[in-house]
Amino acid sequence: MLLISHAYGPPESPACSDKVILEHLQLQSFCSPMATYLEFIQQNEERDGVRFSWNVWPSSRLEATRMVVPLACLLTPLKERLDLPPVQYEPVLCSRPTCKAVLNPLCQVDYRAKLWACNFCFQRNQFPPAYAGISEVNQPAELMPQFSTIEYIVQRGPQTPLIFLYVVDTCLEEEDLQALKESLQMSLSLLPADALVGLITFGRMVQVHELSCEGISKSYVFRGTKDLTAKQIQDMLGLSRPAVPIQQGRPLQTPEQPVISSRFLQPVHKIDMNLTDLLGELQRDPWPVTQGKRPLRSTGVALSIAVGLLEGTFPNTGARIMLFTGGPPTQGPGMVVGDELKTPIRSWHDIEKDNARFMKKATKHFETLANRTAANGHCIDIYACALDQTGLLEMKCCANLTGGHMVMGDSFNTSLFKQTFQRVFNKGLNGEFRMAFGASLDVKTSRELKIAGAIGPCISLNAKGPCVSENELGIGGTSQWKICSLDPSTTLAIYFEVVNQHNAPIPQGGRGAVQFVTQYQHSSTQKRIRVTTIARNWADAQSQLQHIEAAFDQEAAAVLMARLGVYRAESEEGPDVLRWLDRQLIRLCQKFGQYNKDDPNSFRLSESFSLYPQFMFHLRRSPFLQVFNNSPDESSYYRHHFARQDLTQSLIMIQPILYAYSFHGPPEPVLLDSSSILPDRILLMDTFFQIVIYLGETIAQWQKAGYQDMPEYENFKHLLQAPLDDAQEILQTRFPMPRYIHTEHGGSQARFLLSKVNPSQTHNNLYAWGQESGAPILTDDVSLQVFMDHLKKLAVSSAS
Amino acid sequence: MAELYVKPGEGARVVGLTVPFAAAGNQERGWNDPPQFSYGLQAQAGGPRRTPLTRRPPPSPVGAPPGAPPDPANAHAASTALHHSPALLGPPPLGPPPLGPVGHAPWVESRRLSTAAGLEECSPEECSVPANVVLTPLREALDACCPTVQKQVCDDIGRRLTVLGDAWAQGKLSTPVRKRMSLLVQELQQQHWDTADEIHRSLMVDHVNEVSQWLVGVKRLIAEMRSLPAAEPAAVTDGSTEAGPIQEDP
Repeated sequence: MLLISHAYGPPESPACSDKVILEHLQLQSFCSPMATYLEFIQQNEERDGVRFSWNVWPSSRLEATRMVVPLACLLTPLKERLDLPPVQYEPVLCSRPTCKAVLNPLCQVDYRAKLWACNFCFQRNQFPPAYAGISEVNQPAELMPQFSTIEYIVQRGPQTPLIFLYVVDTCLEEEDLQALKESLQMSLSLLPADALVGLITFGRMVQVHELSCEGISKSYVFRGTKDLTAKQIQDMLGLSRPAVPIQQGRPLQTPEQPVISSRFLQPVHKIDMNLTDLLGELQRDPWPVTQGKRPLRSTGVALSIAVGLLEGTFPNTGARIMLFTGGPPTQGPGMVVGDELKTPIRSWHDIEKDNARFMKKATKHFETLANRTAANGHCIDIYACALDQTGLLEMKCCANLTGGHMVMGDSFNTSLFKQTFQRVFNKGLNGEFRMAFGASLDVKTSRELKIAGAIGPCISLNAKGPCVSENELGIGGTSQWKICSLDPSTTLAIYFEVVNQHNAPIPQGGRGAVQFVTQYQHSSTQKRIRVTTIARNWADAQSQLQHIEAAFDQEAAAVLMARLGVYRAESEEGPDVLRWLDRQLIRLCQKFGQYNKDDPNSFRLSESFSLYPQFMFHLRRSPFLQVFNNSPDESSYYRHHFARQDLTQSLIMIQPILYAYSFHGPPEPVLLDSSSILPDRILLMDTFFQIVIYLGETIAQWQKAGYQDMPEYENFKHLLQAPLDDAQEILQTRFPMPRYIHTEHGGSQARFLLSKVNPSQTHNNLYAWGQESGAPILTDDVSLQVFMDHLKKLAVSSAS
Repeated sequence: MAELYVKPGEGARVVGLTVPFAAAGNQERGWNDPPQFSYGLQAQAGGPRRTPLTRRPPPSPVGAPPGAPPDPANAHAASTALHHSPALLGPPPLGPPPLGPVGHAPWVESRRLSTAAGLEECSPEECSVPANVVLTPLREALDACCPTVQKQVCDDIGRRLTVLGDAWAQGKLSTPVRKRMSLLVQELQQQHWDTADEIHRSLMVDHVNEVSQWLVGVKRLIAEMRSLPAAEPAAVTDGSTEAGPIQEDP
């Protein structure tokens, strides 16, 4: 307690109450630990955007490995904090060159000598001259406990404006092209006024459009079959005039630079009228497509030119390449399928049989582009709208490595595409665009911790150092990652390793700490740094296991394990990943369950673990791990979104949310179980990608009979309306826009619900339970009950 | 389900800046296409939610895993339902839904209001805005800009105003577009640039197929007006020639 209060100022100040709560928790008996821990976890997430799997840390390496779920966290680096005005000065850094941690509330301060001790490397540092006036009662913000997360504006004044480069497929049906053109015209009104825009169109050829105000449209035409180096592209576009200084790490600001780039990238407020006309006049690709053929689509070269154009003109400044495509690349580098329609695009079956001819080469092409884009600090969005696959499997790295968006729809003339696209330009409650660019995330740890890796829309910056673990989880071998594009909900999973030796005493101070330093370009183009410093208590896992157990965050743990599983699934066979997940779950139950050996009926899990097995059950069934019934593109799409959403959205994806509406009371969450499907209920299911409204049998019959139109049954009308209103709330905010399914008992689309609920009643066991309670599912899938029975058996078995 | 949402178009009264509406998605082109929300509805979506819709039911103890039938809670619900209406779960003929006074389920009632609010019919005379009410001030604004703005840009804006005028005269513009344009012009005349710009954005998002050709000219005009030397609201009385025509209209 003393140590803590020293580091955090007055011990009972309201700002540090949650830390104090945790301290008390450690000291008191656990009368009601869950409520307090839930509060603690929630407060930390709101303030710091961090959720740890364990909130009390096992103090030795050996004990930590026995916890099964790794010590890890979900970090939302730019979590929206309306109550956090940024400070307008530079952060103070630790002077040790290998440390450079940022001064934070955990640092010990000697106010008389004007010294501070780094809490990570224990280096004693002199305060800079500007801090001469500090004292116990006159602290800078970064020393106050409520600023465990703080944001610095380190560079003001005009920067290079944001850049939006549209790369538009013209091999579309007339209706789709028209809708896309309108959406693009519309977007000119949503962009920041000083943003630079550019336009590349492609079909069989690739056209780079010169944008000028003179009303004469010129374009440079490239063949779509030949890949060009960045140098060649820049030469051909006339971008490599002599003496264009390209300096790493800073945007080009030389006076002649705007002249050079202006032909292809122009401020939207200057060319909006001409660009509106240019877009309006876009025609479908003029090359004839004979019957039985696919149009020749040069997506690979078009993207390559877009990447090369920005690479040469605006490296290391916020830029979005936005690819709009209506079908697979069919020629040149990056080709995914040939132009013969009789040869279908690769399926999971082809991939398993090693029969996907173009996959490896195409993937390689797009990976090279993605890595170049990420190195330049730019990002690539993919908006793919077609009924068949478009090659997202091969192109996914473009969005995944650069933090770009991936949107998959049936047509550009759908509200799904139009509104998703609009939402890219959404503003937050503070009136600022919800997009940030060119972030680097630097993680620093106490000596007892090392960094094992990260999973999210990022690439490694290969920063080796003393706090980098040799054991990799996700993208490892570094303590820094680059996130080229992110928004306030972008979330990374970060995995740690406890390295303190077994039987060594609990580390000095009783707490371990982690600091996350995110440098990024704000949508206002300001350079900002957000610093979050957190600490958690160490505990000896042998004598204080119950403390560690009570501080388990099962929701965070489920998402963190799921990210590991999905990450593995990208490179390993599906069944192997499932087996790995199962083994981890069994080991966790063995470690934390209470049971008598070989007596499955005696098995119990404490409250803090109670939901975890069912999260794993639903994860096993999810489209993130099961490819059955999904195309390779769909799997890529689902996994793309899973690897970047925050905890709440990720959990919805793992285990969809089900709400019931009936005459028996207000809407209530119900089990995702076939027993929840009752005739007199309306169900609302949210799977993140789909919103399903399902009318139970009786409700549907009442609706058909028209009771909702009779004044005396107005309450029935309201009942029908309530889930629609709730669905609308979800639809209004979700990105990407989900599909919306309105169905009823016996409807063909009821399958969306039936395939998600736990099949506790099937055609096999139906008569055992009687017909009234729920809807039987025609499946041979294992139910949660059977799954749990097996789990218990395996957990208590003395053989395993 | 489409009929349960309010369709765009006729009869929506402008509340604040934009009309909140949700139209059915394009079911022909996209399977299960979600409804389309207006700019106004999207903009207000950031606010607090009525129902968080992220709760989960409490877990059952592991000894009795979730969903283990027969679930006593469900059994209870079923029996209550039976009590309400004996024929409820039986085979057809089907009994009616339980009767209740309006507001029997207050949670339903209170939630309805927020979407219903603000959707009223506008009177016919409100809807029939004559073209010159909108076009004349826009042309005057353009004239005011011409001394300081490139000729080519002015010509371009002028051309788009002509397109707008033609579309209006030929009755190609829907009521909400005409109504919102007249609002935009009012805001422009009062030099509320941000509001005018916001209305332009709402028009662009909600009615892009009607307005894309010419609205960009109006957008440019707003921007050019804003940057005129005398455009500062505080400076409107200094008799500058550029601001003159704008103030003539009340």
